Amino acid sequence: MVIPSFSIDTFLSYKTYALQLRVLVSPDDEEGREGALFSCYAQRSTAMAPVKKAKKSTESINNRLALVMKSGKYTLGYKTVLRSLRNSKGKLVIIANNCPPLRKSEIEYYAMLGKVGVHHFNGNNVDLGTACGKYFRVCCLSIIDPGDSDIIKSIPGDH
Amino acid sequence: MVKFLKPGKAVILLNGRFAGRKAVIVRSFDDGTRDRPYGHCLVAGIAKYPKKVIRKDSAKKTAKKSRVKAFLKVVNYTHIMPTRYTLDVDLKDIVNLDSLHSRDKKVTACKETKARLEERFKTGKNRWFFTKLRF
Repeated sequence: MVIPSFSIDTFLSYKTYALQLRVLVSPDDEEGREGALFSCYAQRSTAMAPVKKAKKSTESINNRLALVMKSGKYTLGYKTVLRSLRNSKGKLVIIANNCPPLRKSEIEYYAMLGKVGVHHFNGNNVDLGTACGKYFRVCCLSIIDPGDSDIIKSIPGDH
Repeated sequence: MVKFLKPGKAVILLNGRFAGRKAVIVRSFDDGTRDRPYGHCLVAGIAKYPKKVIRKDSAKKTAKKSRVKAFLKVVNYTHIMPTRYTLDVDLKDIVNLDSLHSRDKKVTACKETKARLEERFKTGKNRWFFTKLRF
């Protein structure tokens, strides 16, 4: 499990980071176990797909994302994703695979509280930015209104 | 999709003097007000946690160790970490916005919340809320 190794060493000097971390992944606390389990489950679900099927589903995710970009409402970026989760406007959250683990856990925790699906995109922030049709990197995005796309109904099924 | 920043939700403050302290949302203003055009909430939290009480302690010592110092604060949503815990303590009648405008009203409101939090601590419920977050 990745989580304990970064928690103690790297982030204890940053007060707020460490605070968020203790909420999520303190091994001896009840809530930490849940946070750790949650992240563990999330990582496991995207690991072992057969290659052909993964390629096909990433293409369809990209298509659906392109449709959302054209016809729906979305926000890009960590701050606005949290804001959309807090005021319960977000319907689906997509996180790139090179998102820092603390940030990923935090977004997943918020999504768990708000009962919003999280999809771990099969690609890094550069790929996610390209999939959104943007020329910048996108680490996380939140879909507020899917427009014509069926991304909300189809994608959380495989997570 | 589910609104979770509701009164009764236990949160952890991330910034400011009370960073790392646990608090409970008393009143939430999702769309902000004219003075504060951002989502914010009124929280009542623990400034000084009660100390650990052991069976060996005398009654006088238990009383001294179970003391809680409370604080009231209006805080931005971005400076808060919500948790999955709730604390259903009825603080709506003592803690309201105008009690934060003047010093002596705030002191009396703090004293009242201190009393209510202390009696909740003594029942032994919501143990997570009254333990200090180690970081």
